[in-house]
Amino acid sequence: MTSHRIRHEKARVDFGRPISFHFDGKSYTGYAGDTLASALLANGVRMLGRSFKYGRPRGIVGAGAEEPNALTQVETGAATIPNLKATQVELYDGLTARRTTGWPALDFDLKSVSGRFSRFMPAGFYYKTFQSRALWPKFEHVIRQAAGYGSAPEEADLDSYDHSHRHAEVVVVGGGPCGLLTALNLGRAGLNVTLLDEQRELGGWLLSYPHAIIDGQPGYDWLKNIIAELRSLPRVQIFTRTSAFALHDLNLIQAVEQLQDHLPLAERSETSPRQRLHRIRASHIVLATGAIERPLVFGNNDLPGILTASALTTYLNRYGVAVGRRVVMQTSNDFAYQGACDLARAGCSVVLADTRTRPNTVWEQRAHAAGVDVRPGYAISGALGSRAVKAAKLVKISADQNSISGDGPTIECDALGSSGGLSPTVHLYCHDGGRPHWDEEKLAFVAPAMGRAATGIYCVGGITGTFGLQPALMQAHEVSDAVLAATGKASVGERRSIETDEPNAIPARRIFRVPDGKVEGHGKKAFVDFQNDVTAADIHLAVRENYRSIEHIKRYTALGFGTDQGKLSNVNGFAIAAEALGKSIPDVGTTTYRPAYSPVTFGTLAGPHEGDTFEPKRYTPMHASHVARGAVFENVGQWLRPQYFLKAGEDQDAAIRRECIAARRGVGIMDASTLGKIDLQGKDAREFLNRVYANSWTQLAPGKCRYGLMLDENGMVMDDGVTACISDEHFAMTTTTGGAARVLSWLENWHQTEWPDLDVYMTSVTDHWATAAVVGPKSREVLAKVCSDIDLSPSSFKFMDWREGTVAGVAARVFRISFSGELAFEVNVDANYGYHLWEALLAAGAEFDITPYGTDAMHLLRAEKGFIIVGQDTDGSMTPFDLDMAWAVSMKKPFSFIGKRSFARSDTAGPNRKQLVGLLTEDPSIVLAEGAQIIEAPEVNPPVAMLGHVTSSYFSPELGRSIALAVVRDGIKRRSPEGQNAGRDRLFAYFGGQTHRVQVVSPVFVDPKGERQNA
Amino acid sequence: MLEHVSRSPLHAFGLPLQATAINDTRGVWANELPSLGYVSLRGDSKDRTFVEKVTHSLGVALPTSPCTYAGTDGAKVLWISPDEWLIVSQRDRIGSLAADLKAALQGVRSQVADNSGGYTQVLLRGRNALDVLQHTTVYDFAALEPGRVVGTTFGKSSVYAHRSGEGFCLVMRRSFADYIWRYLVRAAAPYGLGIAVVETTGHAALVVA
Repeated sequence: MTSHRIRHEKARVDFGRPISFHFDGKSYTGYAGDTLASALLANGVRMLGRSFKYGRPRGIVGAGAEEPNALTQVETGAATIPNLKATQVELYDGLTARRTTGWPALDFDLKSVSGRFSRFMPAGFYYKTFQSRALWPKFEHVIRQAAGYGSAPEEADLDSYDHSHRHAEVVVVGGGPCGLLTALNLGRAGLNVTLLDEQRELGGWLLSYPHAIIDGQPGYDWLKNIIAELRSLPRVQIFTRTSAFALHDLNLIQAVEQLQDHLPLAERSETSPRQRLHRIRASHIVLATGAIERPLVFGNNDLPGILTASALTTYLNRYGVAVGRRVVMQTSNDFAYQGACDLARAGCSVVLADTRTRPNTVWEQRAHAAGVDVRPGYAISGALGSRAVKAAKLVKISADQNSISGDGPTIECDALGSSGGLSPTVHLYCHDGGRPHWDEEKLAFVAPAMGRAATGIYCVGGITGTFGLQPALMQAHEVSDAVLAATGKASVGERRSIETDEPNAIPARRIFRVPDGKVEGHGKKAFVDFQNDVTAADIHLAVRENYRSIEHIKRYTALGFGTDQGKLSNVNGFAIAAEALGKSIPDVGTTTYRPAYSPVTFGTLAGPHEGDTFEPKRYTPMHASHVARGAVFENVGQWLRPQYFLKAGEDQDAAIRRECIAARRGVGIMDASTLGKIDLQGKDAREFLNRVYANSWTQLAPGKCRYGLMLDENGMVMDDGVTACISDEHFAMTTTTGGAARVLSWLENWHQTEWPDLDVYMTSVTDHWATAAVVGPKSREVLAKVCSDIDLSPSSFKFMDWREGTVAGVAARVFRISFSGELAFEVNVDANYGYHLWEALLAAGAEFDITPYGTDAMHLLRAEKGFIIVGQDTDGSMTPFDLDMAWAVSMKKPFSFIGKRSFARSDTAGPNRKQLVGLLTEDPSIVLAEGAQIIEAPEVNPPVAMLGHVTSSYFSPELGRSIALAVVRDGIKRRSPEGQNAGRDRLFAYFGGQTHRVQVVSPVFVDPKGERQNA
Repeated sequence: MLEHVSRSPLHAFGLPLQATAINDTRGVWANELPSLGYVSLRGDSKDRTFVEKVTHSLGVALPTSPCTYAGTDGAKVLWISPDEWLIVSQRDRIGSLAADLKAALQGVRSQVADNSGGYTQVLLRGRNALDVLQHTTVYDFAALEPGRVVGTTFGKSSVYAHRSGEGFCLVMRRSFADYIWRYLVRAAAPYGLGIAVVETTGHAALVVA
């Protein structure tokens, strides 16, 4: 079992700390510092799943974010996380994980049967097969099940997540040698530097390259020293396990920090978040994101045991794991040599096929010294094996073109590594519009070192195609100096040359697809994209089917989709497409790099915006009183308002009926604190009101109130409310609850842009006032018990008057206004006393059985009076005239008002507009549905002329029958008695498949003369 | 006079009963400063008469440079926008302060509106106070200098914020206070949140053990 472990002292795992874990129901042992992938490989686990389309056996390919195959479901129940790459899961004690693919069982996969018929599943298979919408639902379930991947958790997430907003002079992304050196140079100069690295420890590729000599020191010592100094710099902040996954406009970086995922479940803190989303705004960004090795494309290259050469190297050097003992590697470049040497020195037999006929002589000598069997001019044209790689078929390839020039041996092996060159990790550079360019010498899409220095974005190291350690470190010095110059800081410390023991690299061979001597599509499958089962033949097929743009080829074949986002496959795919198209690689270009670089959990993105901090909930000062009295709340905008108050044994309808009857016959009380309130002061406040409201305010005396309709430029009603004259230069406006903020901006906008000459200022006082509306015939008696300094008598305190006084010992403004049509007083006090006022009024009203009522009763009471609710009975197309409210429009004001001119538009002034009416059903027990269509005849034979619709509909306890408000074409003339006389008042309302005969009437159903509110 | 029946916006959380003097056991300490008075003042900062009359009436130079505040223990004046200020004072003084100001500004283009019921404020301090604020808003609080006040987002709501002694003061609208407090409690959880005793005599502050 442990034959794969190579216990060497440079390994970054702690062999003294064994860790037990479970995978697919079996128990295994790894060590602290392992990833799930390294531990599984150490235990000889090769096959981790089946492929997406063909059900082929698959194993681990990479060692990091590039991994396409090893998707695992970690933990169970509420803690489960789907589709984590085993290469990124840190091992902890008791970790439980399972594979996510292979259905119904790993050993027997349904698709492996279909795989034999794979010629029937070409590129675009789904598009071609399921063009019929009728067929799709039948197949969808089976296909989704078979396609596999992890399952979303079904229980609520127990973890918490948060967001952190940071600011930095410099953010360095990537803690490899270049990122570290740059951060050090900048930190030494005193800059505020934030260094982000996705790994558990800093070092990047150096962790896989422990024998490096840098600046005369062993690589690890160099690393240790630089990290120690960085940590000592007070203005440098280092975040490990933190993946920068997006770079947005104006240098905003988003990064996710894994705070607890590496801890055993029992050791995780409940008070700390599992993951934290950092949003960092930086003046300068240095991208030191390195490069990812891409494999070569060859036949059966997806067998378990075939990895990238760099992954083989990483598993050996960093984790002390030899994936196999008999290793065959192939390369197009110098970068595979170090790993080959290390594997040979660790006791593996290593054959290295170099596709170049003339390898780098320095490396060749070192390889021979280490015992590597180097085969220049050879390539692996195909792998052999069924569930794991068993052998590699070597061929001799031509020096000048990518074709087979001779046969080669078949070499048995249990691990195969390939290197097709390095692909710079340019993703972040490209997220906000940057484009990489093709470097034909480096055979890579690279970002320029000075990146977009004008906007503060710099690149250093592998991302620029500077793959050698020594030149990359020198480039780090140059970039550091450029950043320092841009920030006006002097550099600290000398910039001497840093020597390494790495030989100078010689050019790589330009090869992506290793030839097998056959026409593409006729040999063994050669995979470009493992996660989406895209082969080289699929790309050729897409081109034959005339897909020309790489973006289309991507979507037709699925190249580069999925959780790995094509980190291994994209460049090979672009190159193969270029060949098939007969174009150059830069002409084909790349697909678009979009965030996120690697998957981010929804929990992290949501952060604190969940539970009781999902959305602001606004409460009135009386909220505790409502809760204590059984209120059921509804959201009105962000406010919570009582909808009705339930008493024992009541249902919603009964509660509303009781509340309405109390307000009509006795006394009710309603919390109106949420209404928008705007204080206006200035010599021209009155004139301002004249311009923003349709009606006239010229005659409104101090102590008086008036209802106003606010119109938009089109003459349509946008808000309404009562405004009181406090003094000639001081008014108190109310708005609808939902309209408060909009109305204030509207007023400010008109004042600031159109009429800055008017002497008026306005301020929101919505939150300052708590408002209790005491409503009903007994309201005067209730108020009298708690208010002694206002003369409440009808002759002195009339309807639409307001008075200043003291209520329940608190300074108050009392408005005699009514939204119910009853005698009513709205008492306003400083919100700190709102609760006190409410309780005092309830105590005073106890002997009259004062009844708190909610928004449902409020709506019903106002509908009985035909009072509109803006936004319910109006929809942005209703003028005051449509509402039969010409009385609230003054056409005689000397200055115009907003919306006036639009009344002259032909449509606004024209006939047959929809107008507000009341409706009475012939059957008084039928309550129409709101939204029901109004039609002319009982028969419904489409097309049917739609005359209007029901806007409000209730069962009126006061009248003992249903009532409704509606907007109906030419409705005002249809109303009784005029409409009745003309025989036009009979219409039909259609809903739920039935028509109901209705009579068009006045919308004022109760007390049409207004005697009650004036009482 | 009526203090016993007054309920501050964060009354429901029962903070006074949980309060202790600040010690080392928590990373962040906070509490509401209840029962302060607030007056919204609007006028033209380029109108010298306006500025002089306000300055004279309040005894505080009206701050006209953006994002600054001025004040004494008696009255603090926060710059809100080029023509808007928020005056904060002891609750029992606010009535006369507003009346005096209104009288002084007779005939001057301006607005004086008592908004005492509409606002409250929370004091925040402790070694992790800055960390907590970073969780709540995009503003760079580390860069906030003493004497400056900023209006900024707080989760999906907003606050006015300035440094207060060794900590921060957050001024918020009444109806959003519940949300903001809950958000603060959540953001502070990783560091440990303590409810601090509020010193109410003289300069309002959190009491250190």
